[in-house]
Amino acid sequence: MKLPDLISTGWTEIRSHKMRSFLSFFAIAIGIATFFYTLSVLSQRYRDIDRAAKISGTGRIDILTEHPLDMTQYYILKEMLPEHTSLSFTPAENYFDSFLYKNTEIGGFTYTGILPTWKDSGFAYRLEGRFINWKDITNKSRVALLTVYPHEKQKRYLEEYTWNREDSQEKILKITEFTSHVNLLNQQILFNNEIFTVIGLLHSPEIKNDFRFPQDREDTPKMYIPYTTYYDIQPSWRDNSSSTIRIVTGSESTTRAAASAAVGFLRSQFGINEKPQPKFFREEIRMRVKDALADLKKMLFLGLIAMIAGGIGIMNVTMAVIFSRTKEIGIRRALGATKRDILAQFLVESMLLGLCGSFAGMLLGYTAVVYMAADASQMTFSWWVVALSVLIALVTSFLFALYPAWQASKLRPVDALKYE
Amino acid sequence: MVVKCKNLVKIYRTADNFRALDGVSLHIKQGEFVSVMGPSGCGKSTLLNMLGLLDEPNQGEYFLNGVPTADMTDNVRSKTRRENIGFIFQSFNLMPKLSVLENIALPIRYTDTPRKDILPRARELAARVGLESKINSTPLQLSGGQCQRVACARALVNRPSLILADEPTGNLDSKASKDILDLLLSLNQNGMTIIMVTHDPKIAESTHRIIRMKDGKIV
Repeated sequence: MKLPDLISTGWTEIRSHKMRSFLSFFAIAIGIATFFYTLSVLSQRYRDIDRAAKISGTGRIDILTEHPLDMTQYYILKEMLPEHTSLSFTPAENYFDSFLYKNTEIGGFTYTGILPTWKDSGFAYRLEGRFINWKDITNKSRVALLTVYPHEKQKRYLEEYTWNREDSQEKILKITEFTSHVNLLNQQILFNNEIFTVIGLLHSPEIKNDFRFPQDREDTPKMYIPYTTYYDIQPSWRDNSSSTIRIVTGSESTTRAAASAAVGFLRSQFGINEKPQPKFFREEIRMRVKDALADLKKMLFLGLIAMIAGGIGIMNVTMAVIFSRTKEIGIRRALGATKRDILAQFLVESMLLGLCGSFAGMLLGYTAVVYMAADASQMTFSWWVVALSVLIALVTSFLFALYPAWQASKLRPVDALKYE
Repeated sequence: MVVKCKNLVKIYRTADNFRALDGVSLHIKQGEFVSVMGPSGCGKSTLLNMLGLLDEPNQGEYFLNGVPTADMTDNVRSKTRRENIGFIFQSFNLMPKLSVLENIALPIRYTDTPRKDILPRARELAARVGLESKINSTPLQLSGGQCQRVACARALVNRPSLILADEPTGNLDSKASKDILDLLLSLNQNGMTIIMVTHDPKIAESTHRIIRMKDGKIV
């Protein structure tokens, strides 16, 4: 019998045994829904890890040191690192502060000093204006960059601490509210009793499009000033604070060499008691993939249980179908159907049910993703998840129908014909 | 010679090893219309099952159209059934969920006939048995006589060389029985070889030859 005939026969049988078909269909649908949900969520997680890894840069190492670092040390370390390596220093602490703009006090942000190389890793902003350049570093320019947030429904967790100074009569405005109404680009602000020019606005991505690793996302609204300026105006930090060294080598193969160079440098600068712990982002990514894989295993196990239950349902129903259709098998065999025709007929019928079940399951799984997944808004349609879900449904219905179908094909025509 | 059997024996593995066929030898020529008669349990249906390759004898030889059937694999037996043998059953054995047309077309679906030729061929057979107007009906909407005509059309659809009819009029009233007999006679006049099991002596008399059986033997 040709495939279209098998499909049409199978379809007729499915329609004429609605309840029986529904039970198999339902069992498969539940299993597929679990698989679809799991695979969709995990596919998204893998993609997020991949995106975050791309944004964070290849061969990234972060090293925390208990000392403030100056530009002389920057150039020494730069010399020790492999060629084309990006090196950036940032103070490890952030301070809350406020600035004055046309006599209005604006607060609710922290500020820190950065180098032009800061944007080589974890930079997900749209820049309006210009970024801090090496000239600003050399001249210790009084320039600033401000983060600006888009209007969005989703609440982002950002600390916006403001306070009213005792001597101030007016309430301090929150910077996120202020910058959403006033464009401060190229405006002058009074900060730390000095005039700073806002040279650039860093438009933060919407939460749903922010694919950075959590540690690369700012936890407070930020003002960035040149590293040297920060060094200049923060004597307290200069005396007893710590820094983060960020190295992006551009290649995984050079990370070890770069880390050893940095560790060697810190020891040469601060003595042999210095025990810096380089944090390799490769490890971070590996850990995240490992976590995702562990979740995948757990969820797939549940999916597998559901599919086995679905498969047993299919097997049971197919067995019942065969008992009730023994006479039909006899007639078909008498009319010239081979064992293989009978086998194919029941397998195709079961796989048709599996196929329908997979579509219903995917719909159910998709609904679960929309209403249950943590980052539902980031979920996208992955064809491979659809293809895999269909494949799992087809394979399950095939495997579990195989034994009953084989039993049916083994029936002797003369015995099957006698069956009433 | 369409059918040639020599010393066919069929033993059912029961407590007393019942011999349903006990050394049956039979020759049926091309174009013959043969009826098989005998009391219930004498082996008529068993003989028909052997001739239709639905069952295998324990002993003896059976040649269909000169071809020995003893060593045929299950696949070859299936192929031989669909190409050379048409079955007509007492209880019609139609598929209740399929239309008349689809029932008639069913045996062709197991052949290599191109799909586009299947339904026209089934329609032609439906016309031949006078059921053109009923092709979209299901067997449940037909009378017994009409069902048996569908079964006849189905038996003929692959142009077999042999028709095996197991009490084809057994479930029919006298009018419908006559219609079916007339149909079989007309097929036979066109050269079809027919072997028919019947209990009705009047119907048997219309055939060329009557084979009487008793206790698994031809008497």
